[in-house]
Amino acid sequence: MPLLLPILLALACAPLAYVAGRWRPGAAAWVGASLAVASLVALGWELTLGPARLVLPWAPTWGLSLEFTRDGLSGLYAVMALSVGALVVLYSRAYLPHHLELKHRPARDEVRFHVLMLSFMAAMVLLVTVDDLLLLFVALDLTTIVSYLLIGYDRDDPESRAAALLSLVLTGATSVVFFAGAMTLGLQYGTFSLPLVFERAATSPASTGALVCLAVGALGKSAQVPFHFWLPRAMAAPTPVSSYLHSAAMVAAGVFLLQRLYPLFAPAVAVRDGLLALGFLSMAVGSLLALVADPFKRVLAYSTIAQYGYALVLVALGSEGAPLYVAAHAPCKAALFLTVGAVTQVTGSKKLSQVSGLRHSLPVLAGASAVAAAGLAALPLTVGFFKDEVFFHALVQKGPAFMAAGLVGAGLTLAYTLRLWWGLFGGARQDVPAAPRLLVAPVVVLAASVLAGGLLPGLLVAPARAAASASMTRGEPATLELAYHLDARAENLLAMGAWALGAVLFATRLAWTPGLARVLDGTSRFGPEHGYRLLLHQLDRLSTWLHELEVRDLRDRVASVLVPTGLLGLTVLWVTPLRHRFIPGTVGWADLTLVMALAFASAAALATLRARGHLVLVMLISCVGFSLAMVFAFAAAPDVALTSVLVETTFTLLFAGLLALLPDRRLARAQQEAQQPRDRDRFSAGIAGVSGFLLSWSALSHLEADRVGTQTVKLAEVAHSPNVVAAVLTDFRGLDTVGEMSVVVAALLGVTSLLGLKGKR
Amino acid sequence: MRSFVPPLSRMLVWPSLIIALALWLKGGTEVGGGFPAGALAGLVVLLQYVVTGREQARRYVAVRYAAPLAGVGLLLVVGTAFLPVLAGYTPVSLFPRPGQPGLGAGAFHLHTALVFEGGLMLIVFGLVVTVIDRFALSTSTEEESGP
Repeated sequence: MPLLLPILLALACAPLAYVAGRWRPGAAAWVGASLAVASLVALGWELTLGPARLVLPWAPTWGLSLEFTRDGLSGLYAVMALSVGALVVLYSRAYLPHHLELKHRPARDEVRFHVLMLSFMAAMVLLVTVDDLLLLFVALDLTTIVSYLLIGYDRDDPESRAAALLSLVLTGATSVVFFAGAMTLGLQYGTFSLPLVFERAATSPASTGALVCLAVGALGKSAQVPFHFWLPRAMAAPTPVSSYLHSAAMVAAGVFLLQRLYPLFAPAVAVRDGLLALGFLSMAVGSLLALVADPFKRVLAYSTIAQYGYALVLVALGSEGAPLYVAAHAPCKAALFLTVGAVTQVTGSKKLSQVSGLRHSLPVLAGASAVAAAGLAALPLTVGFFKDEVFFHALVQKGPAFMAAGLVGAGLTLAYTLRLWWGLFGGARQDVPAAPRLLVAPVVVLAASVLAGGLLPGLLVAPARAAASASMTRGEPATLELAYHLDARAENLLAMGAWALGAVLFATRLAWTPGLARVLDGTSRFGPEHGYRLLLHQLDRLSTWLHELEVRDLRDRVASVLVPTGLLGLTVLWVTPLRHRFIPGTVGWADLTLVMALAFASAAALATLRARGHLVLVMLISCVGFSLAMVFAFAAAPDVALTSVLVETTFTLLFAGLLALLPDRRLARAQQEAQQPRDRDRFSAGIAGVSGFLLSWSALSHLEADRVGTQTVKLAEVAHSPNVVAAVLTDFRGLDTVGEMSVVVAALLGVTSLLGLKGKR
Repeated sequence: MRSFVPPLSRMLVWPSLIIALALWLKGGTEVGGGFPAGALAGLVVLLQYVVTGREQARRYVAVRYAAPLAGVGLLLVVGTAFLPVLAGYTPVSLFPRPGQPGLGAGAFHLHTALVFEGGLMLIVFGLVVTVIDRFALSTSTEEESGP
């Protein structure tokens, strides 16, 4: 299983970093990062071996297996996640102690941060390597959960907690929608394995509903309109989190999903047109907001929304450059995030209006971030140039209107990137202490990679083609070309136009920024964020109302379980089309003992209605139980009868013991209440009783003697267990027993902690 | 007059435990199984608590470590169910497989279902004894007798 080696190494990062952190907190980051690099090396070696798949069946009778793939797409994204992850973890080593000191938290909390970051990296590697719809969903939710913990890392900060919750709710809810889509596809094609799904989708296209569900999941993750508003809020997280999750990992997951599932989207032109529109909308919204935002991290967050809008447009157009775009954007954006984190650490400010002229104090950082900013703004000699080249190339084929939209988008990108970099490093000189080397080194490494990609585009062609042929071209060899052409082709003209527009916008920024800020501020009141708040408020009210209905008194609480269950049972009976649903059956003289025991049980059950005192009640209830045990004995079910007697005895004694724990006053009041039932008590009891009675009758009317009796006995004999009850319990329904026993142990833990609390009081 | 109940209850411990053991071991072929075995063993302990009190009942090691025993039981159950997966079998594959020759005599057969049932027994025993112990702990400060 060589394919698993990088995944296993990535999964080992977090636990080993934790162990190292227990030994010495400072070691956690180094151990984690070096393991990430090891995983990267293993991955690089794997990728030289060519594409492969690995299938590990875990429930073959249901056709379920763990499937992994090694192709260009997973390789590209995994390299991105691992390399940026390793750099960011090293950066956090320098960033976190200062951050924790500011928040008055102990220095050993640093380990928790590294462990979470590395867990996120592992989840991301898993997500890009799996080749199965169910596993895709599992990995997607893993990233969601870890991102919640990471964004809410500053537990004592209410803003950070709220931001974490918002991102959890939005990305979690949309990933549930994704799950619905995945299930629909699984049912439609009878498999969750992606290659099989693609193969069958070639003959019968996937339903539009399922595709929309999948797309919603991806849009939520990638922070696209209308789900974009979680991303700026998530900037409350420590900067390393933003620089990893919101450049190369979490937001990339959404676009990755669309690329992975592109063969399903390819024939659905309507869905792709919708994605195209949302992509352009996100570009516009993100770019405009980035032009006016004041906190650095917000500028970058809005820019991420816009940049993933570009990627969405590329996917929607079916362009071969879509994977390349994400890969080229990631190092630029990560480097810029790391830069602003370093700036915040040395200056203590978080807003553009509070800093300027840092180029004198932080020359290396200024240079490296200038390269990254050039990459983001798609200037030549950086890898970013090619991300815009493929973008323009795709738009040229669509027509002038698209070309104009692309030109404006790229112009806005240059304008806000210039505004950010100039705001930090340009202008009047400010003197600040030098930044620690470990804060600057990762930025330099990322900037070097941005530059290397731009100077030697030939290096990028092979991975970009491999990724494209694994996703966008559906197995056909890709024909992507990356080179500088010094001629007047449309792509070059568009790029020149975009630079000119960006430069003009930047030069005139003082004239239009206040007006744009006012307009955007005014429109934000009607945006989806407002809708989200409203929805949350209404849901909160609904839940409070239901809760108050339930906890009024003990009887209502019991009714809140019984009535919905009863109604559910009645609904099931109502909708199932069974003929001869209720059969009376026959009673002969041989059944006399059975009927007598049943009559005794019924009489005891009726007597509980008039019971005075709880001890009598307990005795009557156990009387019902013992009579039923007798029924089982007469019905030739000695195993059930034996268990029944033992359980009944235990239950009676424990119940009596429980009574001793309850205060007398409460018991007396409950007794008094029970003697005076209210109308709604009669109603809920009636529903529960009728439903239980009808369900039992209906079930017993349809016993198939052959299937339930003879066959089971025969199978039990074959399974080396002539005792049929034991065979059913351990073998035929073994998995159910495992589940039930886990519940029993959970109940045991609950009892221990609840009664332990009482003992302490 | 000395009551005959405490000595009698103490005498009952070992025979009941042996019956519980028998219920467990012959559960595959005859009446019995892990669940009733655990419940019976729990009942014996319950008897000790009622007759001799918490202090005396906790002299037995198995009573003091009832809750960890339930954990061990869960491990056994889960292990029997999922260890075969590592060898490429479906979950809850029991050995010997249907059709393979079995080993054993009379009502006793060597079968991994026995381990599974043993896990059930420990879980049920652990639950019953822990609940009793907690009740006894909570009531010990109050009156001696029950309601």
